[in-house]
Amino acid sequence: MFGLVGRAVESLYYVCVGLWTVAKHTGRAPITKEFPDTMPDLPGAFRGRLALAVNPETSEHLCISCRQCERVCPDKCIDITAHKSPETGKLELIDFKIDHGLCMFCGLCTEVCPTTCIINTNDFEMSDYSREALIYDLKKLTLTQDESAHYFSKKYLPIPKPKPKPAPKPAAAAAKPADGVAAPAKPAPPAAKPAEGAAAAKSAPAATDKPAGDAAATKPTAEKKADDSKDSEKEKAAPEPSAAEGKAEPDKTEG
Amino acid sequence: MAPEKIEALTSTRLKTDEMIINMGPQHPATHGVLRLLLTLDGEFVKHVEPVVGHLHRAQEWQGQNRTWFQYQALIDRVDYLSGMFTSWAMARAAEKVDGCQVPLRGEYMRVIVSEMNRITSHLLWLGTYGIDLGAMFGFPFYPFREREKLLDLLEAISGQRMMFNYIRIGGVQSEAPPGWFAKVSEFVKEFPDRVDEYEAILTNNPIFIKRTKGVGILKKQLALDYGVTGPSLRASGVPLDLRKTKPYSVYDRLKFEVPIHEGDGDTFDRYVLRVKEMRESNEILRQCLEQIPGGTADELRERRKACNSCGKADCSNCGGDLMIMAKKQNAGLRIKAGEGFDAIESPRGILGCYIISTGGDTAYRFKWRNPSFCNLAALPDLLIDHPIADIMAIFGSIDVILPDVDR
Amino acid sequence: MNPAVFEIGKFARLTVIWLSIIFGAVWAACWAVGVFAPALINASGMPTETASLASEVLRALVPVVAVAVFIPINAMFMVLCERRALALFTVRKGPNRVGPDGLLQTAADAVKLLFKEDITPHGADAVMFTAAPIIFFAPSIIGVLPLLAAASGNHELFRSVNLPTGIFYVLAIASIPVVGIVMGGWASNNKYSLVGALRSAAQAISYEIPLVLSIVAVCLMAGTLDVVKIADQQKDSLLSWNIFGGGALLPYVNLVVAGLQGNNEQVQAIMQHFQAQPLGPFAAVLMVVCCIIFFGIYITGACAEVNRIPFDLPEAESELVSGYNTEYSGIKFAIFFLAEFTNLFVVCSIASIMFLGGGHAPLPGLEQGFTEMLGGILKQLPGSKEIFSPGWLINSLVNPSTVSQAFWIILKTYSLVIFAILIRATLPRFRIDQLMAFGWKRLIPLSLILLIALTYLRELV
Repeated sequence: MFGLVGRAVESLYYVCVGLWTVAKHTGRAPITKEFPDTMPDLPGAFRGRLALAVNPETSEHLCISCRQCERVCPDKCIDITAHKSPETGKLELIDFKIDHGLCMFCGLCTEVCPTTCIINTNDFEMSDYSREALIYDLKKLTLTQDESAHYFSKKYLPIPKPKPKPAPKPAAAAAKPADGVAAPAKPAPPAAKPAEGAAAAKSAPAATDKPAGDAAATKPTAEKKADDSKDSEKEKAAPEPSAAEGKAEPDKTEG
Repeated sequence: MAPEKIEALTSTRLKTDEMIINMGPQHPATHGVLRLLLTLDGEFVKHVEPVVGHLHRAQEWQGQNRTWFQYQALIDRVDYLSGMFTSWAMARAAEKVDGCQVPLRGEYMRVIVSEMNRITSHLLWLGTYGIDLGAMFGFPFYPFREREKLLDLLEAISGQRMMFNYIRIGGVQSEAPPGWFAKVSEFVKEFPDRVDEYEAILTNNPIFIKRTKGVGILKKQLALDYGVTGPSLRASGVPLDLRKTKPYSVYDRLKFEVPIHEGDGDTFDRYVLRVKEMRESNEILRQCLEQIPGGTADELRERRKACNSCGKADCSNCGGDLMIMAKKQNAGLRIKAGEGFDAIESPRGILGCYIISTGGDTAYRFKWRNPSFCNLAALPDLLIDHPIADIMAIFGSIDVILPDVDR
Repeated sequence: MNPAVFEIGKFARLTVIWLSIIFGAVWAACWAVGVFAPALINASGMPTETASLASEVLRALVPVVAVAVFIPINAMFMVLCERRALALFTVRKGPNRVGPDGLLQTAADAVKLLFKEDITPHGADAVMFTAAPIIFFAPSIIGVLPLLAAASGNHELFRSVNLPTGIFYVLAIASIPVVGIVMGGWASNNKYSLVGALRSAAQAISYEIPLVLSIVAVCLMAGTLDVVKIADQQKDSLLSWNIFGGGALLPYVNLVVAGLQGNNEQVQAIMQHFQAQPLGPFAAVLMVVCCIIFFGIYITGACAEVNRIPFDLPEAESELVSGYNTEYSGIKFAIFFLAEFTNLFVVCSIASIMFLGGGHAPLPGLEQGFTEMLGGILKQLPGSKEIFSPGWLINSLVNPSTVSQAFWIILKTYSLVIFAILIRATLPRFRIDQLMAFGWKRLIPLSLILLIALTYLRELV
């Protein structure tokens, strides 16, 4: 009988201890992160959306089309189109596609990249209305100079040295239409996207004197799906047109 | 009258029709996609048939069709609550075959991150076990709060919250970011108080004790017969913990107790044991932070300024024990020909990996020994003659992760 | 500012806003039907007989209007209150998106539920399936009525629902919902629902007994079944509340007070009274203990009666998916939900009327002082005699004693509701056989023993 009463009192005591422990939490600051209002403070190592960085100092595109990432990707979600430039004998990037619907964000591509070009950004909001919209192309993938600088400092990456031969490039771009004609003719494979094939010649500094409006005019025809995505994507792409536009110019000049 | 008829008439229990109930795979409480085919007599379980395989992803086959480097990224998905351990088991087996020696700092980093991972796994178990027992509106948030802190730390070092891809063949992927060690030691300091809070809510709670004591008794012999490992086995009184019985990595340099409960091996014992294990893991973390060669990552960075992080193997600031990676990580990662097995102690039990390599960049054969699968085998014996309400109490207490069962 | 204090402040603000809306709306509706409309009719120059008949009919409608307005809004608030309070207990913020600071969250939820598809599962008994939520919900409406009289301090508008056997009626009505649960569970054509419903029936039957016995104990001490009288008996102070023995300790406290004040005559008078009852002090203390235990039993039984954790077996999510309401959706589910929260409110208000002194303030003088102060202000108003003048409007709208009583009963009831939420945040769930064992082997014998003890102790005090 007394045992029973003792047990009852003891049980009641421990229930009260539990209630008190819970009630004590009322006096603590909430740990809720109000997500859309305040963005989470993500670490530099966070593996979010993949992107291609440019050199934070010279804004030249870092990709050398070595296809290491394409080979290592376990999901085979990277598709690189490149061709060998006839005048320099070097690989030139034509298009770089990543299907973020397939990507599992393992970060292996960023590890094997010899020029720290492909990086995981801290962006994780990529939801879209169709699967096709998740296939990002070169223009959507490439970061601006500022963004690249931000991620290079956040990830403690060493600033890459500028590419060895800046000299031959202006020469190549300025180098008459004759080469320009040969270039678009060669990349036959991207038959499905002929307009993008035009975005061939890489970073031609001569293109900077070209009005930006011209590039903007050629792009929408190239791919429509880029437009229905976020505005910020356009902002990202805007300062970068040199790559896409480098080709457009020789075309124009000769046509 | 025939004797059996008399028996039936005088039997103290009324005979009723048995009811067959399909619990799962979409039942809210089966922790995933386990299907239990229950035969019930009233509310009591007469027969159980666990149906597994709803989540089969051919992990072993995938390992044989991917390169070593690619498979490392995939293997975290097997046991998603303790990705560090699956990576570690594979890394250890591959290192054994390859004969490569992991640097000491790399080993310490492995122990630190995987003990953190063990705590997150047990915390999640604790929260969901509260849900299984019906304390579903307040209690689960407390363990999850601490788990969130640990996951943030693991994210900071590895890049993702659960699919870490951090422990690699030959070491660990990267050095910790600045300030990481300080945050870990801050967590280590406050964590025991938090465990006290969980215990204040649950351990002595009379309802909790009633629900768990004497329920789902796993006898020592039965546990051994089924090959149950991990906390479930230790709760039955068998002191089998690979960290202690067959110390791997740097566990022989650390002082810690393997909690063993000399009880009946009921669900309450398994609960007590896991809570103790969290405290022990915290203790291991504390020791590792003291012992790790080279000190914190920030200190090491300071030292490395002298040699400009040369990374040479004979450098006193970069090489030797202070390295974290012994093998070059690239797409062409190769393991020498041979075969080998190695096992580690995961939060759920002994996690083993058997590898046959032909020297190429792809494995010839993978075989996983997953603790959840073996522990699940004991479930039917535990459930017999328990009411429906206890199914979740027992099933929750053996802590099964369904992707780990089905692979 | 400390963010935790900030959160508590926000919770308090939300509670005050919602409660003012609820009770303001209820009282405004009652006033419009019971005071303003009859006054209009009288002033409209109708024949006197017709006018008085019409006024009578309108007055009789007042309690119905009050309940009809009160229950839906109150349930909405309680859901929000529960979610916010649980958030406070679990260091979160809770719903804070819809409307200013989440004020309209449950309103939005209710709208969502209304627009959801109403599904009747294949093989279900459609009639029973539809009737179940109604039978579950109806008792909580009619059960509240007698409590209105007690809660409003026997206001004249609610006198018609003041039954002489009020608490008996409330308890009788409160045991009907279980029929709705069993109907719903059976009609759903789902094994989990059926198990949940049968569990609920077993549970309701076993826990009704200790619940009723603890109420019986209070009635025994009060000597009446009339809720208004029971509430009135506890009006003096904290010590005359039934949870503290219904005034058993009062003479002793008076003695101490008189001794401290040095009032010898009074001390002598009280001492004489004690000599007639030598066991008095001892019995009084025991009686207080008994009453506190009875209060605990009542709370336990009430939790079981309204299926709250730790007795929420009928809808035990980890075992039975969602118990008897697994197959319900849309408006029917909303009705189940509504009724559950209303039932919680009803049992809490019964507790505060029966045990915690109803609408009376815990300290003597508080209520009187407030009433006098407010009454003084109201008298100052111009033209308070003239019909339809602002003074008349305010005077008929604000009744000082009702305001005070309403304030205290709301405070007490919602404190109990928050306590129930705290329990919900802490305790795990019983198993069905343990629940039965606890009910039949512990609570019922305990309450029987205490009831007998109380009968004797009452004579000794």
